[in-house]
Amino acid sequence: MVSSRPTSTADLRSATGLTEKETGAALLELQERYSQQTSGIVLRNVAGGYLLSTNPACSAAVERFRQEARPAPLSGAAHEVLACALYLGPLTRSGISRVRGVNSDAVVRNLLERGLLVEVGTDRDAPGSPALLAVTDEFLAATGASSAEDFPALQELVAPEELARVRERLISSGEPPPATEAP
Amino acid sequence: MIFEPPGRSLSGFTVELDVYSGPYEWLLALILKDELEIFEVPLRELVDLYLSSRDREVANSLERDTDFAGSAAALVLLKSSTLSPAVEPEADGVEDESLSPKELAERLSEYLKIRRGAEHLRERFAANAGQHPSAHTLPPRRGRLRIRPDRVSLAARRAFSRLLEPPTRHLGPITVTLQELANLISVALAGGPVSYEVLTRDMDRLNRAVAFAAALSLAQEGRLTLSQPEPLGPLTLAPSP
Repeated sequence: MVSSRPTSTADLRSATGLTEKETGAALLELQERYSQQTSGIVLRNVAGGYLLSTNPACSAAVERFRQEARPAPLSGAAHEVLACALYLGPLTRSGISRVRGVNSDAVVRNLLERGLLVEVGTDRDAPGSPALLAVTDEFLAATGASSAEDFPALQELVAPEELARVRERLISSGEPPPATEAP
Repeated sequence: MIFEPPGRSLSGFTVELDVYSGPYEWLLALILKDELEIFEVPLRELVDLYLSSRDREVANSLERDTDFAGSAAALVLLKSSTLSPAVEPEADGVEDESLSPKELAERLSEYLKIRRGAEHLRERFAANAGQHPSAHTLPPRRGRLRIRPDRVSLAARRAFSRLLEPPTRHLGPITVTLQELANLISVALAGGPVSYEVLTRDMDRLNRAVAFAAALSLAQEGRLTLSQPEPLGPLTLAPSP
């Protein structure tokens, strides 16, 4: 209740003096007690730790009480940039633009300001050593994910048959038309 | 008839969008100042809003339409140029050559996966929206605190600096009080009005200044009157009637 960030089990063990087994059992019990179906406060396992949050069903009342509006929903471009950073990251701004085929600098800037992306280093092999971008713990918390492994693998998102159709269509369209015999 | 200044025909047009609500002119200013992402502004919705608020009976409707068409076209251009592919010259200065169908297929496949990943993320964001942490935000973790050296030095200067006291060495030791000079003036006025110059003829600079302050103080209390017919002219002190 005193941390607005997810608290890792190691930190919980350190603070309570419980063993790993006891901590796990206590957390399971708490998750049942503070579940989305039965409680206004929900215990979530996100971003590599545990976080007590308000139930989404109470969000309207909470936002009225806090007198703040929910942040504007992300655009489609922003979701694509986050997907690039999540599945292909860390990667540079130009890497993201290359995958999407459009300039993504403005979208990246917006996501950095919202704390969903962070610069985690530099690509020393590239000219100018551009910054490498990755998703943040805030991103994991906002998507309800415990870690990046919680997301489905990129290969699973598109059926192999669909990919094969795309390849076939493009390759066939690039081939020269079959030569026709002169009459 | 109300005449609007030239170029301000759209001053009365306000818009209600998800990303912005207010005067259209301010929306343009925010976009130009990069305070608002052009990506986030639905241009079609903007045009619909204008068309729905359009009034043919207004005297300057043609001017309004022209101004809106011009600004909307500029927004379309700006958005399209921002969205245009980033051209990255190759190391030898030659721009990226056209891709073969196979390479294009690979790229498109990769983008298709990212697109599906983005759709998945959208669902997860929506499913987890409206959950607020139950606790207040703790101070930043060690290593995540950003320290700006210039602000630290400014804060240190403010904390350790004191106001400089004005130099007083030129005044010499203060050997007279306001009360003493006030008594002196009262005695002098017993014989009738007296000029300030005569009163302070034998005094040094400090005593003259204190005498003037004493005279002002007595005048404020109503015990004497000061008269100076012309600016910087002779000053006469007279007992109050």
